[in-house]
Amino acid sequence: MKTILTVIRKELLDTLRDKRTLITAILLPMLLIPVLMFGVTKLQSSILKKEQTKDIKIAIYQAPESFANYLQDESIEIVEGLDIEDAKAAVENDSIDAVLEFAPDFQANVDQMKSGTINLNYKTTELMLYKRISGKIEVFKTDILQDRVKQLNITTEAINPVVIQQNDMASSKERLGKIFGGFLPYMFIIMCFSGCMYPALDLITGEKEKGTIETLLTVPASRFNILLGKMLTIAFVGLFSAIMIILGLFISLKLFPDIPAEFLTAINGVISVKFVLMMFAMLIPLSVFFAGVLSALVVRANSFKEAQSIVTPLTFVVLIPAMLAMLPGIDLTWKTVWIPILNIALATKEIIAETIEMKYFFVIVVSLIIFALLSVIYSHKQFSKENMVLK
Amino acid sequence: MIEVSNLVKTYTLTKQQKKELQTTAGSINAVNNVSFNCTPGRVFSLLGPNGAGKTTTLRMIATILKPTSGNVRVSGYSVVDEPDQVRKSIGFLTGSTNLYERLTPEEIVKYFADLHGISKADFKNRKEELFDRLGINEFAKKRIGQMSTGMKQKVSIARSMIHDPSVVIFDEPTSGLDVITASSIIDLIKQCKQENKTVIFSSHIMSEVDLLCDDLAIIAKGNLVFSGSMDDYRAQSEGKSLTETFIDVVNANQIINA
Repeated sequence: MKTILTVIRKELLDTLRDKRTLITAILLPMLLIPVLMFGVTKLQSSILKKEQTKDIKIAIYQAPESFANYLQDESIEIVEGLDIEDAKAAVENDSIDAVLEFAPDFQANVDQMKSGTINLNYKTTELMLYKRISGKIEVFKTDILQDRVKQLNITTEAINPVVIQQNDMASSKERLGKIFGGFLPYMFIIMCFSGCMYPALDLITGEKEKGTIETLLTVPASRFNILLGKMLTIAFVGLFSAIMIILGLFISLKLFPDIPAEFLTAINGVISVKFVLMMFAMLIPLSVFFAGVLSALVVRANSFKEAQSIVTPLTFVVLIPAMLAMLPGIDLTWKTVWIPILNIALATKEIIAETIEMKYFFVIVVSLIIFALLSVIYSHKQFSKENMVLK
Repeated sequence: MIEVSNLVKTYTLTKQQKKELQTTAGSINAVNNVSFNCTPGRVFSLLGPNGAGKTTTLRMIATILKPTSGNVRVSGYSVVDEPDQVRKSIGFLTGSTNLYERLTPEEIVKYFADLHGISKADFKNRKEELFDRLGINEFAKKRIGQMSTGMKQKVSIARSMIHDPSVVIFDEPTSGLDVITASSIIDLIKQCKQENKTVIFSSHIMSEVDLLCDDLAIIAKGNLVFSGSMDDYRAQSEGKSLTETFIDVVNANQIINA
């Protein structure tokens, strides 16, 4: 026990003095989500705003006289004097944004209580264009409808016989679970893994590459305890990275201005002592599992480069089950509880939604602990081989 | 006290290695039936050309590698059956050893003291003595990464000696060091001898051996080709230089093997 603590203290000190580890394992996960969220939404809203207020040019043909009133808008310019075919060609080469072509019998059809057709020629690649023009036409349409209602002497309800009243029975926590439940575990599983990765290379392969391992092998302290101390340090950094990304997510949700108030209350409701304990119960064995597997794999490498080429493909092995959990239709069942990584992702979703069944949760924690122990044993086996440990 | 008896280390060869060595044998004996004794208060030198099996032998004495057959007794304990007891009494230093770049000498020495299970009081005394003697105090709080090779070597020595081992194993301790830096190692070996420790070091630099050693063994291709006192060896030289004799002994043996 004393050896384990000695090793952990030394390795933590060593790791925390390494700028690369500090950045990849602590700073990056903490800032990733806030930066992404603020950056992406800022960009999105500024693009949206630009598209909505951008000046557009429209050419109109065979429109009823009254229609012109509906298009009065500072940002809409009506182009006149072009032949209709030329106008369409102008849309194609982007000098005009849209051509509105009313069917020749438009007014006649409208007057006879039939449907009149408007051909809207535009490029769908202009994202906001349809919304802006159809919005104007919608007002025009509503006015015609009002005329008809008056003419026929009926009520508006008469032509709108069915109204659907939506009642969302999902609690705000369930909706939160749906939105962040897939994303959150995906992020913290990846961060936990990448958090373990760098210290594993440093603490295991690093000793070999730098030639410090020989002296370490001549001390009377138990080799298993030295290895365990190293693995626990690796796991600790991974766990810390995972916590950092969760923290980053909650901080950005709190700071973010556009989150509906009921969501915020739901988020506050989710972060309970129970939630934190349940997450730790899964995250601790998961990070030990990652640390064990990574140590066992990188011990054969003689250099950082070699170790990286072993570990990088493994990232995808971790990514796949984490991504699977985001797909609809994949839920926690007696089959999925046994699959490491996938099970923790699915369980997190349900813990947030508060729909988790305790028997599943129990099996997941126990199976994760078993996997963690197996990975430690496997790692120790690899570590005991002379040709693995020495160059 | 180190008693090496009939020590063998066999490595299985991979296809690649067979090609490189141009052999069809499935395995090779890196150390082949080697026996010798090192006694306290005398400096024992293990000589041999590159690839002779010096490092493998020393690693087996230091319990880093397990012998395929034969045994080594260090201070009476067998490296095969009681490696933990052996580890308590040995100090191990190689020329290629590095230190943890981001730690300070104090932290490194403390780490190894803890791994050796040394009491706080013993640690304090030993550390003060070693740091004074080696002049580490000036840079005791500086990180290894910012140090010169000479400073690092001194820290390596302090780390290997912090538990006051009765048996000291040096694997080519001066390789890659300049004369000034190497002198700290030479001084250390002399001091160990004075303190009646058992010292074994490997080298292929004859002048160093001539300066320090009392007993020596020469190995070539894993076989022991000479074992005796330095005086015996000088007598065998018959006026030739010690280096010439070394080359003769190794070559004569290689012809026999071929």
